Amino acid sequence: MIGALHAMAMLQVALPSATRPAVITVGLLYFAVIIAISIWAARRTRTASDFFVAGKGIGLIALTVASVSVSVSGFAFIGGPGLIYAVGLGAMYIVLPAAVTNVMGAWVLAKRMRLLAEARGLITIPDAIGARYRSRAAQGLSAIAILFGIVGYMATNALAMGVVINSIFGVGLGWGIWIGMGITLAYSASGGILAGIYNDVFQGTLMGVASVLVFLFVLQFGGGLGEISRTILAHDAAILSPWGKLTPLAALSFYFVFSMGSLGQPQAVHKYYMLRDPLQLKWYPLLKTLGLILVLLLYFGVGVGVKSFVLGGRLAPLTSPDQATPTLLLDVTPIVLAALVFSGVAAATMSAANSFINIGAAIVTHDLPIAFGRRVTNELRWGRIVTIVIAVAAAVTAQRSGTMVAFLGIFGWGLFASTLVPALAVGLNWQGATRAGALASIATGLIVTLALETTAYLKVFRFPAGVTASAVAMVSSFLVFFVVSWLTRDNAAAEIDPDIRLVMDI
Amino acid sequence: MTRRAALIALFSAILAIAAGYASAFSKGGAPTWGAWLLALGIPIALGAIMILGAVRGKQGIGSLKFPFAFVILVLMIGFGAALALPGTEGPLSRLWLGLPLRAAIVIYGVGLLPIIVLPVAYAMTFETLTLSSEDVDRVRAVGRDRKSGVPATPEASAE
Repeated sequence: MIGALHAMAMLQVALPSATRPAVITVGLLYFAVIIAISIWAARRTRTASDFFVAGKGIGLIALTVASVSVSVSGFAFIGGPGLIYAVGLGAMYIVLPAAVTNVMGAWVLAKRMRLLAEARGLITIPDAIGARYRSRAAQGLSAIAILFGIVGYMATNALAMGVVINSIFGVGLGWGIWIGMGITLAYSASGGILAGIYNDVFQGTLMGVASVLVFLFVLQFGGGLGEISRTILAHDAAILSPWGKLTPLAALSFYFVFSMGSLGQPQAVHKYYMLRDPLQLKWYPLLKTLGLILVLLLYFGVGVGVKSFVLGGRLAPLTSPDQATPTLLLDVTPIVLAALVFSGVAAATMSAANSFINIGAAIVTHDLPIAFGRRVTNELRWGRIVTIVIAVAAAVTAQRSGTMVAFLGIFGWGLFASTLVPALAVGLNWQGATRAGALASIATGLIVTLALETTAYLKVFRFPAGVTASAVAMVSSFLVFFVVSWLTRDNAAAEIDPDIRLVMDI
Repeated sequence: MTRRAALIALFSAILAIAAGYASAFSKGGAPTWGAWLLALGIPIALGAIMILGAVRGKQGIGSLKFPFAFVILVLMIGFGAALALPGTEGPLSRLWLGLPLRAAIVIYGVGLLPIIVLPVAYAMTFETLTLSSEDVDRVRAVGRDRKSGVPATPEASAE
């Protein structure tokens, strides 16, 4: 859910060295389990459907934990607590939408996408857009938009992996990137999404356990949430005001972008195709929401906890806000707990990278050829080849300057949200939406996001506080979608195939 | 009717949010009413898109109107209280479950109350209002028919 900010946070943080025997041992055990799961999954991957959607054969619990794992990313462990340390509760508006986003996704997308997989055997998000609007152009344009976002996400995740692995093993940033991407690539290329899902299950479990343990430790160390709050209120009360040190508009803007935008995040939406039995969707939102809350306990606990410990004189002032988690782990908590969290951060970056590699490979080998009226003859073999190309390209890009890579990663979330939410989330639930509306909306999201992010990066202008390119692009895309669909509404009914209409009516 | 109302609500809420963002470009920074537009527009937009997803065919949303109304109100009241209540946080503030009042409203109200209601409502009404085994069978039958005769990808002829 919060991968866009993950970029900046992970790139700006110079993680301190955690090279201690316990951390290295837990790190090695972590990688051994990843390799074992990957070998097991590779033996079970025989078709393109196995490779891209795990043959629609994932059970409820596995899918839930995997979905939590890819939704979180390392930002929840490092950048998020640092943001709370810096700006207070305003940073919570990034994660507060978790209370509604999973069930919103279930009502708006999960059922219809899973039924589309039954009716048409669809395996990608552009597939769903193409089928809904009976349009290869819409499928191709949405595929290009997703590919743009993936380029950024992959580079930032590769760099984040390098930072974490270097911190654990002390191998240097460059080798950290290649080791992290190499292992992720090995399981992505051999076992596809099946390896990804079961590694996500392991990684998500690790993240959940680490988060809960750290949260409980912070409460115990701080004498309870009340004592932690009292210390903060005595020294810097604005941290615990409802907006923290942000403006109300900025905090609410976070909530809007990270709630509505969640409906367009391919790494989460793509998972709806994979559930073995559509009727198991019944418990999916409840389980995923509870899992997400557990993983996010660290975000809140470390953020306010470290602020309180620093203000109360129990910890030295931090050199930068992003040092909140590493400082707590290495200076205060038992080293085994630190080892678990460092492995958890590596897990978060690897699960996100794997998911994006898989989606990117599906776009290149499946959606783009369809958009041009062609079919790849052996999607499984080409899927593996493209997986390797994407991973190597991401690792090479990640070796470039951090600022450049941060820029690439920053617009991922907003690009997915502005290009996919109206056409996919509204379009699958409104038969009045038209092909022209979808095309105009996707194009608007793509152009507005790229134009605003690029000009902001080049410092051509600055947004006022609280306004972001992601928010402007998503709002523009919505309005264009409604207006163009309304103007071209005469064709709406004729553009929907009977089986798609049935899926939309149910 | 329900679907139409949800669409109008979603469009209106997005317009309100757009106006809220536009207000930030005014001289002197965002006026207070700009944040209020987001505080009201966001709950309506989220509620409307959930209702849009929950409507089946020409039916309404049945008993789901209660959890949807509850969550829209919780978000509106939570954001509204954070904007309207005076900022009096200090060392002697009364704490509610470990947090000062306005923070507790946001963290426990906006962040946790919807979890108690929405996913449970989804599960409780799943077979009757969302998806039944008969629905799945119908879609599978259509899928089988299509597989036997029609290609599964978007038709080029439609472009």
